[in-house]
Amino acid sequence: MRRTLLGAAFCASAIFGVATRAAAPSASYTTDPGASRLEFVGIQAGAEFKAVFHKFTAAIDFAPDALANAHFDVQIELDSLDSMDNDRDSTMRGADIFDVAHFPTAHYVTRSFAKTAAGYTALGALTLHGVTRDVPIDFQFTATSAGARLEGTARLKRLDFGVGQGEWKSTESVADAVKVAFSLVLKPGS
Amino acid sequence: MPTQSIPARYSAVAKLFHWVIAALIVTQFVLARIAAGLPLGMHKLTVLARHKSVGMTVLMLAILRLLWRLKHPPPALPSGMSSHERLAARGTHVAFYILLFVQPITGWMMSSAKNYSVSWFGLFTWPNLIGKNEGAFNFLRVTHDTLSYVLFTIAVLHIGAALKHHFWNRDEVLLRILPFTGPQGPRR
Repeated sequence: MRRTLLGAAFCASAIFGVATRAAAPSASYTTDPGASRLEFVGIQAGAEFKAVFHKFTAAIDFAPDALANAHFDVQIELDSLDSMDNDRDSTMRGADIFDVAHFPTAHYVTRSFAKTAAGYTALGALTLHGVTRDVPIDFQFTATSAGARLEGTARLKRLDFGVGQGEWKSTESVADAVKVAFSLVLKPGS
Repeated sequence: MPTQSIPARYSAVAKLFHWVIAALIVTQFVLARIAAGLPLGMHKLTVLARHKSVGMTVLMLAILRLLWRLKHPPPALPSGMSSHERLAARGTHVAFYILLFVQPITGWMMSSAKNYSVSWFGLFTWPNLIGKNEGAFNFLRVTHDTLSYVLFTIAVLHIGAALKHHFWNRDEVLLRILPFTGPQGPRR
């Protein structure tokens, strides 16, 4: 019953989305992989550590005057994580943390956008480690001569997604809170 | 200057530095042994984090201790000691002071080279001394390990010498560093 209602809501929003899209078009972009950066910052033993994802794709539909049509779809290959230490990377890829063998990708899809004092905020669903949860992102969008730049952050709790099984469920040495930061260089095209 | 007169015993401050740092170094050996026996995992990270926090504490205390020591000469060695005994005592103490700095700094550099920043009990994070460098890490780890054996050896000599002074020579050398051992010697 709940599922049906949700499905109906999705259909309605899809139809509505198509309708408004015709009225106010938003530009479509893809990322320049070499110039774009997506990373997360965790806290391990009280000190921050940073890991980047070398492989990810982002399909970005966005125009500042057409937030209703904006849409982000980001696909991250978790195996491409790099925290500049092989021991830590292989531990994070392992079954007790990201378990990349079973969950090779993370997926983020936006649902709605709003203007904020500093830029924009998007609400979307992140699917990570087989768990889907809403995660808001705050970002700034800057049009450039070659396309656009998209910079922003998100905050999430790794244990909400079951990232950390067994002893890694403990937050004694690895904090639950994780910050995600991105700086994407966007070029026109879809 | 009257402050430069030589006391008969170590001052309360010197004793405090000595025993607190000694206790922390024993703690460091214990934590390092525990960590070495653990597989890479949460528990090991926790133990190593503690080791790093204690190590940075030793470094900070070593700086304070050295500054203090430069202003406050230690009591003179017993007059009966031979020149090579004096040299051995002097060498041991100098080596201790060097290791009080070198061990924490090589440990700190190890963490930096491995790109694991050092936190001080989770309260703040020390800057990395060097960039990520696996080769440097391996070299520093061997250095840090080797120096820990050197430190252990010197500590055995140091304790052995103190006991020898006390039970064989029956002089004041051990008593003058023990806590709660009466007056501080002659008034300045």
